[in-house]
Amino acid sequence: MFRWVDNTAELELEIEASTQQGVFAGALAALAELLATEPEVQLRAGHEREGRPSVTRRVSAEAEDRPALLAAWMEELVFLAETQGFEPLAVQALELGPRSAEATVTGRLGRPPPLVKAVTYHRLSFAPAGDGYRATVVLDV
Amino acid sequence: MSEFPIKLVDGQLWEIPASARAGMRVPARLFADRELLAAIEQDRSLEQLANVATLPGIVEAALAMPDIHQGYGFPVGGVAATEPPEGVVSPGGVGYDINCGVRLLALPIGVEDLGDRRKPLVHELSRQVPVGTGGRGSRQGIRGANLDRVLELGPRALLEDLGVGSEEDLDLTESGGCLEGAVPGSVSARAKERGNDQIGTLGSGNHFLELQRVDRVYDEAAANAYRLREGQVTILIHSGSRGLGHQVCTDFVKRMDSQLAHYRIELPDRQLSCAPVSSPDGQAYLAAMSAAANFAWANRAAIASRARGAVQAVLGARVARGTRQVYDVAHNVAKLERHRPGGDSEERELCVHRKGATRAFPPGHPELPEVYRAVGQPVFIPGSMGTASFVLAGRERSLEVSFGTTCHGAGRRLSRTAVRKQVEGGALRQRLEQQGIAVRALSSRGLAEEAPEAYKDVERVVEVVQAAGLAAKVVRLRPIGVIKG
Repeated sequence: MFRWVDNTAELELEIEASTQQGVFAGALAALAELLATEPEVQLRAGHEREGRPSVTRRVSAEAEDRPALLAAWMEELVFLAETQGFEPLAVQALELGPRSAEATVTGRLGRPPPLVKAVTYHRLSFAPAGDGYRATVVLDV
Repeated sequence: MSEFPIKLVDGQLWEIPASARAGMRVPARLFADRELLAAIEQDRSLEQLANVATLPGIVEAALAMPDIHQGYGFPVGGVAATEPPEGVVSPGGVGYDINCGVRLLALPIGVEDLGDRRKPLVHELSRQVPVGTGGRGSRQGIRGANLDRVLELGPRALLEDLGVGSEEDLDLTESGGCLEGAVPGSVSARAKERGNDQIGTLGSGNHFLELQRVDRVYDEAAANAYRLREGQVTILIHSGSRGLGHQVCTDFVKRMDSQLAHYRIELPDRQLSCAPVSSPDGQAYLAAMSAAANFAWANRAAIASRARGAVQAVLGARVARGTRQVYDVAHNVAKLERHRPGGDSEERELCVHRKGATRAFPPGHPELPEVYRAVGQPVFIPGSMGTASFVLAGRERSLEVSFGTTCHGAGRRLSRTAVRKQVEGGALRQRLEQQGIAVRALSSRGLAEEAPEAYKDVERVVEVVQAAGLAAKVVRLRPIGVIKG
């Protein structure tokens, strides 16, 4: 589960999940919302609203600690959107190591908006909370 | 809501003392009036400014302009000067959009000459200047650019290799459009992949291209020097280093974050990660940042070339040939400059970080182009898409109190979520059209997020910097067409 927290200029994301894998999946779901091709752009590009075939990408990230690993995971998805037009939809079989994350991600190819510039380290956190985990990430837009 | 003790020290200058919290090495100072201060205190801007004051080697004060708002690491509108060799350089103090900046073009016609060709011109500008959506098939950047030469030379590479722009354009660009010390090899392959097909694309968020008219002249002498007159049609371009710059910052925030213990640096925020200017990490960052800055100047040069193409298509070759560049300024950059902090008798070399802040050198400064040396450096302050923008001229006091710096825009007031609750994209488009502003936008959502309501009053921001003696008003520009990423 994710929600957008009020932030004057950037986009601040808060994710809660019962497992660490769930936090990574929540981050992907949040980015899926931002990276989806705008319907107007899709129409202008002559694409059908629906029916773009599903594609998969192998996504892997490495970092020294959990918060940085979450940021690196999201950076990979932003990179794929910008360079390949890959719009993530869902994560399959996420393997989470102490300093690595690897998964197959399903999505579609389109014209994602160039909204997300970067995943920042500002107030970046990933920690146990209650029965699960909570993470916060600020995106530069 | 900020809880920092802040007191008025001089006219428009407020100060948070270095004793306000542990770790601050210098005071934090802010240029504002009481109303702007009240708005600024509503978010984390001042906390972020106090964090900047903890950077090793920071000199005199962490500074903020009246358009300050909450960012990440540094606040947007923040200025910090550090002194090498121990003083640090912080990639977060420049931001992800390295050399985000503004270029102003002036057409040789008045708004009355434009007549009913205003909307066709806005349409053609939107057709020729792509936003740069993602994807392999988009191929929206200019063809034939040699990326390594662009990283090393900036827009000069486009001029020499492709005939884009002119020598006059280069002369009328901050730093001639090229930071020395740029090393293409210091830019990662990943950054190059992101930027490879983006030269000449606008980007999204608050980036825009605006068709305007000069609606008021405040300083005839400076306006004459900038060759601007009342009623004249202008084009304002706001863009940066696109994915390439974003990746350079990402790479170095990560790299410096991992080296903090090595340099024995403790920070209140990981986004402030930094390294001594003289260290291998600091030097590598400056080499890559300079290359990304050069890329951004080339990007705006390519956008300007495409804009001239649109002018030619709608208004003819004579008008396109007469379309001049007024100037191009960076507002996200770190530069090694010579200043006299605290009124020192001798100049010292400092690393001046400007994040959402614009260099504003005064008349007589040797770094200004000859044609502007008598009146001071042009500074462009975009408002929002429904309000005015300003051309200012740098003033002497900027060198005394703000390391030669002034504001960069109106400054955001409302979050994207908050403004979407108040404004609907379609209704906004209609309202702007009724005001005589033709609109082209990638999406209605993006348009709503940049609504005028989201920003502070740019006129108030400009009044503060003028009263503080940082820069002075030259002309005011009103939008007549907007292209939004």
